[in-house]
Amino acid sequence: MFVYEKKLQYPVRIQNPDPKLASVIISQYGGPDGELGASLRYLSQRFAMPYPELKALLTDIGTEELGHLEMVGAVVHQLTRNLKVSDIEGTPFAAYFVDHTAGVYPQFASGYPWSASTMQSTGDVIADLTEDLAAEQKARLTYDNILRLAKDDPDVTDVIRFLREREIVHFQRFGEAIELAKQRMDQKNIYFTNPAFDK
Amino acid sequence: MFPKPDKPGEDMNAMPCGDASGVLPSCAPLAVPYVPFQQMGSQKYDHGEALENGTLFPGLNLPFKLKAKAANIPMTPLTELQALEFVLVELGLYLDTHQDDAQAMELYRQYAALEKEGRARYESLYGPVTQTATAQSKTWAWLKDPWPWNYQEGGDK
Repeated sequence: MFVYEKKLQYPVRIQNPDPKLASVIISQYGGPDGELGASLRYLSQRFAMPYPELKALLTDIGTEELGHLEMVGAVVHQLTRNLKVSDIEGTPFAAYFVDHTAGVYPQFASGYPWSASTMQSTGDVIADLTEDLAAEQKARLTYDNILRLAKDDPDVTDVIRFLREREIVHFQRFGEAIELAKQRMDQKNIYFTNPAFDK
Repeated sequence: MFPKPDKPGEDMNAMPCGDASGVLPSCAPLAVPYVPFQQMGSQKYDHGEALENGTLFPGLNLPFKLKAKAANIPMTPLTELQALEFVLVELGLYLDTHQDDAQAMELYRQYAALEKEGRARYESLYGPVTQTATAQSKTWAWLKDPWPWNYQEGGDK
């Protein structure tokens, strides 16, 4: 089960609202490589995992990603607080505003709603963990692109830098997890069976 | 800016490669992905630097050119608690794939003790972090603003 902790993993305190920036950062809330998909991917994949290291790692990284979802939501919320209509008119945030006002909604930066079709849970140990390596890279590059657009507001970029670095650490751990899984599999041909299904 | 816990002596003999490198099998089966295994005894930041960099491990700190410098996070009872908990999260993931690293396990124990103290200190000043901790309050302080996503005028506690 999960227990809520009434604090963020990392401080979020954004002095200057910027709805235009919020309209791209929302992609890391509910976009194709965002934190919602990340947490659901790992927390779903873990059920089929046959080995304790993999069950633990997917649970622990999936849980951390829920904390990142909350941080990205806090960033979007603070970037869109105390807005007047004149702050919104004629900006890229106007399209989001008309549907969601200043509510936080899981969608791509392009407006497409969050979709489970952006993630997989294959029930295959090597395929899932390899997807997870790619997922961490895709999230990392999305944060790179957000840094390109965020320019120089450190209230925002400090948070994005932190989240981006977590993707790199998670990539490392998933890579190690594949190695640990391989050590338990057929040493001549790890594709001979899927240990999550072929008992 | 953050007090450092006692660290166990780091055994450099456990590291055949440099700190920013890892180990790979010398002969490796084809057609499978490889990420080098992080070595035991890797260098570590203190908990404040770890939170500021997004990792406990200097060898894994690989920023993007547009934001290479780490954050500078002012120390408050909240950021102190966040930093201590962050080390536990980071070491927890490390131990998931390095369960035989006794030094890392010992460091986890030390940080868990510091985190317990930090949490008690924070809760005595600002109220419960978990709903069950509200049992220590005279009234149902769980409701008290601000919630974590709210912007705080004048800075976080």
